[in-house]
Amino acid sequence: MDWLRSLTRQETTHSRFVGMLFLTVLTLVITIFLPPVADSELAGGAAIAIVVLGLSWLTGWSGQISLGNSGFMAVGAYAAGIWAHHHASTPLVFTLFLALVVGGISGLIIAVPSTRLRGPYLAGMTLAFSAAVTPIAQNFTSMTGGEGGLFFNSLATPKWFLHFFSGPYAAINASAQWSADLAVVVAGVMFFFMANLFHSRTGRAMRLVRDNDVAAELMGVNLARARTSAFVVSAAFAGLGGALYSLLQASVRPETFPIGLSITLLTLMVLGGIGTLSGAVIGGIIYAFSENLVAHVNSLTGVNPVSNVGANMQGMIFSVLLILTMLFAPRGIVSLKYPLQRLFRARPLSRGAKEVH
Amino acid sequence: MIRVEGLSVNYGAVRALRDVSFDAPSGQITAVLGANGAGKTTLLRTISGLVSPQSGAIFLDDFSLLGVATEKIARRGVGHVPEGRGVIQELTVEQNLRLGALASKVNLAEGLEQQYARFPILGDRRKRYCSTLSGGERQMLAMARALIANPEVLLLDEPSLGLAPQVTSQLMRTIRQLCDSQNLTVILVEQNAKSALRIAHQALVLHLGSVAAIGDAASVAADEDLKRYYLGVVVT
Amino acid sequence: MHNIFAGLSQGIIYSLVALSLVIIWQSTHVLNFAQGAMAMIATYIGMTEIDRGVGYWWCVIISVMVGMALGGVTERVLIRPLYGKPEINPIVVMVGFLGFLEALAAAIWTSTTRNIAEPFSQIYFKSNGHLVFLSSFVIFQIVLAIVIMLSVAALFRFTKLGLQLRASALAPEVSRLLGVRVSRMLTIGWILSAGVGAIAAVIIASGNFGLFPTNMDGIFVASFIAAAVGGLESPLGAVAGGLIIGLGEQFILAYWSPDVAPLGGIIILVIALMIRPQGLFTKTTIRRV
Repeated sequence: MDWLRSLTRQETTHSRFVGMLFLTVLTLVITIFLPPVADSELAGGAAIAIVVLGLSWLTGWSGQISLGNSGFMAVGAYAAGIWAHHHASTPLVFTLFLALVVGGISGLIIAVPSTRLRGPYLAGMTLAFSAAVTPIAQNFTSMTGGEGGLFFNSLATPKWFLHFFSGPYAAINASAQWSADLAVVVAGVMFFFMANLFHSRTGRAMRLVRDNDVAAELMGVNLARARTSAFVVSAAFAGLGGALYSLLQASVRPETFPIGLSITLLTLMVLGGIGTLSGAVIGGIIYAFSENLVAHVNSLTGVNPVSNVGANMQGMIFSVLLILTMLFAPRGIVSLKYPLQRLFRARPLSRGAKEVH
Repeated sequence: MIRVEGLSVNYGAVRALRDVSFDAPSGQITAVLGANGAGKTTLLRTISGLVSPQSGAIFLDDFSLLGVATEKIARRGVGHVPEGRGVIQELTVEQNLRLGALASKVNLAEGLEQQYARFPILGDRRKRYCSTLSGGERQMLAMARALIANPEVLLLDEPSLGLAPQVTSQLMRTIRQLCDSQNLTVILVEQNAKSALRIAHQALVLHLGSVAAIGDAASVAADEDLKRYYLGVVVT
Repeated sequence: MHNIFAGLSQGIIYSLVALSLVIIWQSTHVLNFAQGAMAMIATYIGMTEIDRGVGYWWCVIISVMVGMALGGVTERVLIRPLYGKPEINPIVVMVGFLGFLEALAAAIWTSTTRNIAEPFSQIYFKSNGHLVFLSSFVIFQIVLAIVIMLSVAALFRFTKLGLQLRASALAPEVSRLLGVRVSRMLTIGWILSAGVGAIAAVIIASGNFGLFPTNMDGIFVASFIAAAVGGLESPLGAVAGGLIIGLGEQFILAYWSPDVAPLGGIIILVIALMIRPQGLFTKTTIRRV
């Protein structure tokens, strides 16, 4: 059973690869059994999970807070969108790669002046960036299609896939399934890269910077470079995630990426657990099914979903969740299991034995 | 006076103070000696309420100081000059003094005059920002700041730290003068045992958080065996 | 020429909010991301009283009082539990609070813009037949802002309370040893800051911009940049920063292109960073190793 254990610990690239492959295939299988609506939501969740992963890298492993990811999502989405709009036949991989690169570059541009900024300054700078994105998108109409946005169709279901579906809703089902599968595979690939990054020398340096930057500097870690690269990675991930998100919706509009989205991303990351791969997955899942969640809450409390209260319920729930999590379980839902464990732990066998936590 | 009974303080799993008991009478200087990590600073911080003890009692005359907020303890007349002096660099000399006077019912103008008379250098530098002061001047300011509130008790944590020997002697003499003239209860934590023992009335030697010895200053100074606790050397 | 007044009048609002951010930063080392939103809610609560026939000036007072109360409660309930924890925790909590307040406002009062009946005329004056961006209201705005800023400065400089507030921020433990009620000072810092923010929000709501749940977002961002440019440690810097940003925005609008205006704040921030690459801290901070 040793090999299984080493798989879960993910210490070698090989084991990481196998692990990711396993999880991806598992998820794909699950999508087959889900209804098309759930598949679409899951696809969206996968895209968001990628963005949260990037954010987690930045926050969890280099301790910086960024509210800029909705902005980077927009950059990636528009890059992909503008390209797809004009070159509809480009393979998906290329478009996504383009978004990744553009996202990374924009991250670099923002990062260079930001590296010397700490905590609040950086957060504010990134907030300013995200806040500017929507109006800019609205203004540069010629490129971005202004208010109306751009439309494209890169995720057309290939013919060979359609064969698996039959019945009156074949096309829709196939399309939903295809989108979900694509999204999951892309997410799997990105998670694989991130896992490698985490265990690499860069990752270790990153964690050192987070915990004690003076010591890190003494050991030769170039602080500015480490922070910049963390930023660029997170922006690249956000760009790709944003592009995927927009491709799934077949459109990109200025309103798709408001500041509120950055706050939501933060919430998802915190809920899932900052700085963990599984946390990003949890975040994505929560996002995927948040609409259902909110609808449930609405029906439980008897609120009309179309009323003012109803429409803002999602915003309120998420933000309250963020506050509560930060106050009581800042390491995410996963960390709640420790106090719970303590409640159920058996009494010590001998009196006077001290419990060491 | 200050009475400490059976005081024990833990920092997590580390026992900083074990069952420490002593009396610091009014009008006398009680020197607290010991190596680094012996618990000297912890003792002062606990008296001032910055640290909560696991067990024990602390009395200011008849009043129990346990569980009382630090600022309240200060207002009751316990002046504390912390390790490193705690002079607020971003403020001027006078502002630091004003701050010291705030908590007491002392007349500010009178208090300032008194301290400037006692420490003329501070008077000269009153509008200067504290970042421009020398170590000795900062020590003077820290003391003046504590004294301006007319405290009953003075807790001093390593006042000679970083000061030249001459300045240290002057400082010690000043402390003794103040103690005598104002009938203060002084608890003086010092690494510089020789200087401290010269002006102290009684001495408490701490070793790894416990009381290794307590007695009048002259006896403690003469005791060669005790030297290994606060000098870190075995004197043969 | 007329742009200068527009820049100054807008800039002075940024200065006010920037000042409130600096007060909180100095007292508790938290950047209150929800500052604008808190002020917005206070304005809603106060200003909707106008519908019930309460006079404008009473509503202003109510808004400021509500704002201050909200500031104090927020510090106690949300920030207090987080002392000693990593610096980003309160930032994140405040971001969440921001989202919550905006959603709450939209839920209760809808997102439609409200225009409050203005106390002073908003009609711009004319000079030689040209429109000057100056109206009675703008004059009121500038005067009120200046009065508030001077009052705050006087408070910090000349009063016992001000000295205690500063000391509590600079050296909390030492201050406690001197008998200062530090935790009370922290709360007072938040209360004061929230009051200043509320005044800024009231002015904004009464002006052309109007009152809607996200009306303080852009202003918060610009004010934050103003505080950053001026130095979060320096109230005077914050005020100067606000004016710089206000004027800078006008500059970009007039001489570059209105399309780029949203990036104006960032551009100014980047330029400021290039001029002072040591990272916008006005005083060198000693790193304790």
